[in-house]
Amino acid sequence: MNNKPMKILFVDDEVAFLETLIKRLKKRGMDVSGTNSGEAAITILEANLVDLVVLDVCMPGMDGIEVLKKIKGKWPAIEVIMLTGHACLEAAGEGMETGAFDYLLKPIDIDDLLFKLEDAYDKIQISKGKIKTDEGGLNLNIKKTVKLG
Amino acid sequence: MCFPAYPWWDEMGRFLRYLKNIFFSPRRKKSQEAALVSCDFKQRYHAFKLLLNANNNALEIMGEIEKLLSQGRPFGMSSINANCTAVLVNIYRMIRNLDRLAPGKYGALFHRFDAIQSDINHILKEKPLVEDKRLVIFISDIDMTMTDLVGGKMANLGEVKNVLGVNVPDGFVLTAYACEYFFGYNNLQLEINRLIQAVPFDDINKPYKLSSQIQQLIINARLPSDLKKLVEKALAALKERSRQPLTLALRSSALGEDSAGISFAGQYRTVLNVCVENIFQAYKEVVASKYSVTAISYRMNRGFRDEDISMCVGCMAMIDAVSGGVAYSCNPFDIHNDSIFIHSTWGLPKSVVDGSLNSDLFVVDRNPGFRLIQKNIPEKDKKIVCDPEEGVCKIDIAKDFQLLPSLNEKTITDLAKLTIKIESYYGAPQDIEWAVVGSDPPVIYILQCRSFKQKHKAAKKVCIVSKLDKEKLIAGEGIMASPGVAAGEAYIVDKRVDLLKFPENAILITRRALPDWAPLLNRACGIITENGGFAGHLASVAREFEVPALFGVPAICQKIKNGETITIDADGLCVYKGRIESLLENKFKKKNLMEASPVYKLLKKVGRHISPLNLLDPDSSKFSISNCKTLHDITRFIHEKSVYEMFNFGKNHDFEENTSKQLYHHVPMQWWILNLEDGFKKKVAGKYVLLDDISCVPMLALWEGIIAVPWEGPPPINGKGLMSVMFQATANPALNLGMRSKYSERNYFMISRQYCSLSSRLGFHFSILEAFVSERVRQNYISFRFQGGAADYERRLKRVRFIGNFLSDYGFKIEIKKDNMHARIKGYEKGFMMDRLKIVGYLITHTRQLDMITSSLGMIKRYHNKFKRDIESVLNIKMVHECESIK
Repeated sequence: MNNKPMKILFVDDEVAFLETLIKRLKKRGMDVSGTNSGEAAITILEANLVDLVVLDVCMPGMDGIEVLKKIKGKWPAIEVIMLTGHACLEAAGEGMETGAFDYLLKPIDIDDLLFKLEDAYDKIQISKGKIKTDEGGLNLNIKKTVKLG
Repeated sequence: MCFPAYPWWDEMGRFLRYLKNIFFSPRRKKSQEAALVSCDFKQRYHAFKLLLNANNNALEIMGEIEKLLSQGRPFGMSSINANCTAVLVNIYRMIRNLDRLAPGKYGALFHRFDAIQSDINHILKEKPLVEDKRLVIFISDIDMTMTDLVGGKMANLGEVKNVLGVNVPDGFVLTAYACEYFFGYNNLQLEINRLIQAVPFDDINKPYKLSSQIQQLIINARLPSDLKKLVEKALAALKERSRQPLTLALRSSALGEDSAGISFAGQYRTVLNVCVENIFQAYKEVVASKYSVTAISYRMNRGFRDEDISMCVGCMAMIDAVSGGVAYSCNPFDIHNDSIFIHSTWGLPKSVVDGSLNSDLFVVDRNPGFRLIQKNIPEKDKKIVCDPEEGVCKIDIAKDFQLLPSLNEKTITDLAKLTIKIESYYGAPQDIEWAVVGSDPPVIYILQCRSFKQKHKAAKKVCIVSKLDKEKLIAGEGIMASPGVAAGEAYIVDKRVDLLKFPENAILITRRALPDWAPLLNRACGIITENGGFAGHLASVAREFEVPALFGVPAICQKIKNGETITIDADGLCVYKGRIESLLENKFKKKNLMEASPVYKLLKKVGRHISPLNLLDPDSSKFSISNCKTLHDITRFIHEKSVYEMFNFGKNHDFEENTSKQLYHHVPMQWWILNLEDGFKKKVAGKYVLLDDISCVPMLALWEGIIAVPWEGPPPINGKGLMSVMFQATANPALNLGMRSKYSERNYFMISRQYCSLSSRLGFHFSILEAFVSERVRQNYISFRFQGGAADYERRLKRVRFIGNFLSDYGFKIEIKKDNMHARIKGYEKGFMMDRLKIVGYLITHTRQLDMITSSLGMIKRYHNKFKRDIESVLNIKMVHECESIK
């Protein structure tokens, strides 16, 4: 289903973790990049097309939940997966309610992470498919009208 | 049958019809609409898949929680937090995806979820409130009532000093609140929890890295300046009172430490002979030792929460001892022996405490007169003393002193008297660290004291060690440091790196009884050392964990090879080659240390909101959101409803490729199939689908099992069995053909290429099968629920157990509650999963025969054998323990 490789941005202040993960995912032929702060992530997203963001929760400066809120406000089509060592009910709850695709705990098996990324990417592709159909006909209007109705 | 339609869908349909009239030819419109529907179908199916995935994760985590509660294995708060967070996230995902399938319809689930989540959160966050917020307290102001503030060790010292008038070094305590203040100031706990969370504890290598990371974090953190000022003020007062140049001993005094039965022996740092100007660095080091490997694994093994253990630190004037050691007011592991045991050495007591050097032993009668019953004076070639600069050092003992007793008789008597005085004050046996200063006259200082519980000496066993066993004797001397018998593979530990390779259940062989080896006690089944005595930390911890330990066995490291199987008999002071079964028969069962622990109790409390399943029967009116009492109930409810909603959608619109088709195999069959995504090889028009057109891997495997062996028809039943079936059929309307509810009257498959879900009612029982089989091996699973049925409760129970037992022979995990059975298996590769599906298919067909099974064991056995035979011969599948492909 996915012809285009997904573009993924990892945001984590733990640089060693970030580097290892990116190296391992690149080995599997994925288009991955990383940055170590929320502020930098937003700058990157403003300049680049990204499909998925994998986001740490506890970071100095802008924390993960803030970044998530910003992403969901500005780029709702981007799916965000929280990946954190922070097993905290409140943060998990807030993250999910803000629209995170999932809230995963470190340590994570690389295969499980990969599946999760695929699932999130499939979700994006399927909703994009819908938009395409809409554009193919007159249905862009239909969508709006239905919403109004 | 009545299914509620979707308002938004209705609306879109209406609008499309409207558009059709205006713009399009019917044909153009139809394909447009179909494309939309199919796209929507895809989205729904994807949401459904995500829901199933979350459901599996949630069930797996619940299983994990059950395992923690039942297996007696150690776990910590990080496991509880991680499991709770993960299970809640997955259930939230289920609710969200169900909401995608039926927008708004099950909105009340969000509220149920919130309520349960807040209950769980409340339990996890419980913490005692600190009321006394003093940061620094002088020892002269401390008594037993202040345990929560200054820790057990310092509270004890304050008590004996201020109430009993015993000599205790001058000093002050940095309180639990000071530590909390320091942590809060730097936000340390959050970061520490994060570090712990991210490390898997099964890897023995990791705790070392973790421990050093956390300790570095603490040592590098800054102390609040007001705390520093208070400490400097206290130091100035101390200096003024001191007659000699002042150096300090910083001792940990953790909350919860030193209560009877819990040793915490040797886990935390004591920093000796610290220069006044280095007090802050030393303080942070002591506080950081809360995260020493020993301490982390100890808390884990005993089930203490990190948060519950606050580090108080005693800062005391350093006593430059002539001799020092440990005194026990009675024999720690023989309740019938109440003599006083004094271990003593030259210099500081440190080497007695950590068991690193030889020490003298004086056994003294406790009755007035304090007669010396026994003395043991080994050669002492080294001692530990204060370094003139800072810290302590090991130096050689002058030749003349090596064989001299380190205490004279007068001091021994004084020490014995003092020991009894403290014991009778506390009314419990005491373990006392002491130091003697000066010689004319010598003054005894108490450095710490704590109560301990005497152990019952294992009844003197008459072990019949045969002559042959005697030939197997490797060593026959030593000190019993912890009683018991054990056999296992010997593993010699010399350097720290050896810890990493230590095998589970091996016997630890080492030269010195260092506290460093304590983290192994949860994996070792016995310990043998060349040096060290029963007063050391390692011995205390071994006794606490009930690991047999034999210390002071000469040259044992040379006598035993790594990997060799040996038997240790600590009571008999013997080590044997091989397993000596006659000795092992006397082995007692280890107690489960977790069960009484705070962490265990907490998980149990939390578990009540997670694991119990109350919603059993989907046909019952009680199967509702308001009756979802636990997270398990929510998963069960959502799963049921999601299947229903998926089906509902397929049936409720008029695009034929998305409606269910009747299976056609030679003739139309009583099986209906709904294609979710790519379950058909090609587009199928009309009302039938051929078996050959189906591409669903799990369904085809299941089908093979269903048709493999034809049903023989009902077995002969006795009159009682028939009566029972008939009675139930009239009494329970759900079983009555004419009144069956919902979609369950027929056999429905929902399929994609990798997924299938089957709801079926064959005979009188109801089963739901669900399977996902793909190249994602870790996500492959089969879930099979079987419930209800005719016949009375006893018979239904028998049948459910029969099926459960049968499936468990083939590797399924079985859960039975009332007459509900749930079998699950996951994480195996495709071929293996397909075989399991064939077995389930076979059972779906043939359990019909069991509806009327009699209660006779013979009949059950007969069916068991027949089923097994069929599966082996027709399906060519072996039982799990014969099957090598299993992990």
